[in-house]
Amino acid sequence: MNALMMALDSIREKKGRSFLTMLGIIIGVTAVLVLVALVSGYNADITAYYEKLGVNKVTVELTWYDQSRAEDVMGLLYAYGNGELSGMVTGVSPDQKTSKTVKYRSGSVDSSTIYFGSDQWADCNNYTLDSGRDILDYDIEGRSRVCVIGAYVADALFQYADPIGETIYLNGDPFVVVGTYYQKDGSGEDSMDNAVVVPYSLSRSLLGTGYLTSYTVKVGKSDDVDTVIGKLDSYLTGQIDSSVGTYTLTDGNAAMTASNDEMTSMSVVLGGIAGIALLVGGIGIMNIMLVTVTERTREIGIKKSIGAPRREIVTQFLVEAAILSGLGGLIGIGLGFLLSAVLGKAMYGLILFPSTLITVGAVCFSVVIGIVFGIYPAAKASNLQPVDALRAD
Amino acid sequence: MSLIRLDNVYKIYNEGMDNQVNALDGVTLDIDAGEFIAIIGTSGSGKSTMMNILGCLDVPTRGEYYLDGVSVGERRPQELSELRSRRIGFIFQGYNLIPSLNVWQNVALPLTYQHVRADERRRRALEALDQVEIADKAESRPNQLSGGQQQRVAIARAMCTGSPVLMADEPTGALDSKTGAQVLALMRELNREKGTTVILITHDVGIAAQADRTVRVMDGRIVHDSLWDGILIPDLKVAAAR
Repeated sequence: MNALMMALDSIREKKGRSFLTMLGIIIGVTAVLVLVALVSGYNADITAYYEKLGVNKVTVELTWYDQSRAEDVMGLLYAYGNGELSGMVTGVSPDQKTSKTVKYRSGSVDSSTIYFGSDQWADCNNYTLDSGRDILDYDIEGRSRVCVIGAYVADALFQYADPIGETIYLNGDPFVVVGTYYQKDGSGEDSMDNAVVVPYSLSRSLLGTGYLTSYTVKVGKSDDVDTVIGKLDSYLTGQIDSSVGTYTLTDGNAAMTASNDEMTSMSVVLGGIAGIALLVGGIGIMNIMLVTVTERTREIGIKKSIGAPRREIVTQFLVEAAILSGLGGLIGIGLGFLLSAVLGKAMYGLILFPSTLITVGAVCFSVVIGIVFGIYPAAKASNLQPVDALRAD
Repeated sequence: MSLIRLDNVYKIYNEGMDNQVNALDGVTLDIDAGEFIAIIGTSGSGKSTMMNILGCLDVPTRGEYYLDGVSVGERRPQELSELRSRRIGFIFQGYNLIPSLNVWQNVALPLTYQHVRADERRRRALEALDQVEIADKAESRPNQLSGGQQQRVAIARAMCTGSPVLMADEPTGALDSKTGAQVLALMRELNREKGTTVILITHDVGIAAQADRTVRVMDGRIVHDSLWDGILIPDLKVAAAR
């Protein structure tokens, strides 16, 4: 208690110097908190992006060696996915797209993404019907020239008018709008809302080829993804002759996981660099504590001559070092929270706060650094011979 | 058994080297409880070394120092600080108050090392300040006081633990003669009323003359002890025999 008061007194007496001493720790702690918060913000951003794209998707990609003998993979997947795997698979759709200019009367959208979808396309890609109806089996079989448009296209071409039943032109080909999707991605020109979905059976006339090469199988629960991939694999092996074509199965979640893992290891590296800043801060504290010991040699001598035991002197200097670094840590936390919030808002539009674990860890670490780097000066002070110390000026 | 006994004590610096210095060169001295003794010598005579050893600030190179009949040389640093805390109060020429603490906190400081409770520390510090008649300055900082006042505070600090021995190293060296006399009178009073053993280290014959007993140190040896007036003291007999 006494040591605490003395340490606070001595820090208060030399405010400027104490602040400069703490600066290293302040910068270190702030850096750790902000970096970790920004990485978690980035991860949240990436996760949100993948969630918008639709999670738990398995992509089936095909390469045909002999197009004349190509299988109707969509038919196979559709039958298998809605048959044997119906408990786990919630949707199957081709995953094929192109880019076209979309026109309605005098209005136009220059490069809209045209998707060739099945009746389950919206579910596979996380779109929700806003008005009208979705693409139906009937449209696919009859190759109806109908489409469902994303929120950006609807806004750009129709503003407040009702698009249902109107005819729009995709590179000159007329299509009747039968439905619209809710906005799901900020509705900018580069967003996922700049989309038009047409029945995939129209691919031959719009793409010039009937052989689609990419399909999406949407799985209900992430736990089932691996099972579905395994089953699809053995199923497709039996259906596709290896001399005719080959296929690959990709777990869509893996990309998100990989991206998050990458950022996490990145944050370890960044945290390490910030940790070095903390270490340097600690050395700064040691340095200034050594100066303090020299300055207070006489005081130490006086205290020893009137009976202060070694422990007392050691405690005094350790407490002072720990307070310097702990106070630095607290200021660092304040700055870290502030900067995390400001930068998070600016970069990701999220109010980010450093995690409790990191915060508590940073403070403990800075106090430990203070104590560790205070040991040498404290030992030096306590080992002074009272006679020599008293002789000092 | 005397309170303090130095038995053929040597303090040697740079032993065995060309510049060997025998700061104490075989000193034997007994001091009884309740004495008021002055150790007198010029600078370099070894009197400061003697005080450091008597005050448990330093240990002899050879020879024995008994405080209360127990050998000091065998004590560990921890025990030495315990001894200083319990048995010895120091007064220095430079006062040696801690500038960041106020007057009563300075006086109470030795009590913290004896783990006295906070309110009790303050009570005893104020009591000691009252005895040296400076209680009105209890809240002041040392640098706000005159030299004489600071030395009174130092005396209060030395006596508030109730230490039986008061070691004073040139206590009046930085004071004018009138203030110096007051400080000496204060120590005399302590000696008389509380039976405190006072050991006064000085180079000033006039100050030393106010003690009951004077011991003169020269070249690390005791060359005169008024207790032995008229008789050759053992040291001198040795010297004469050479």
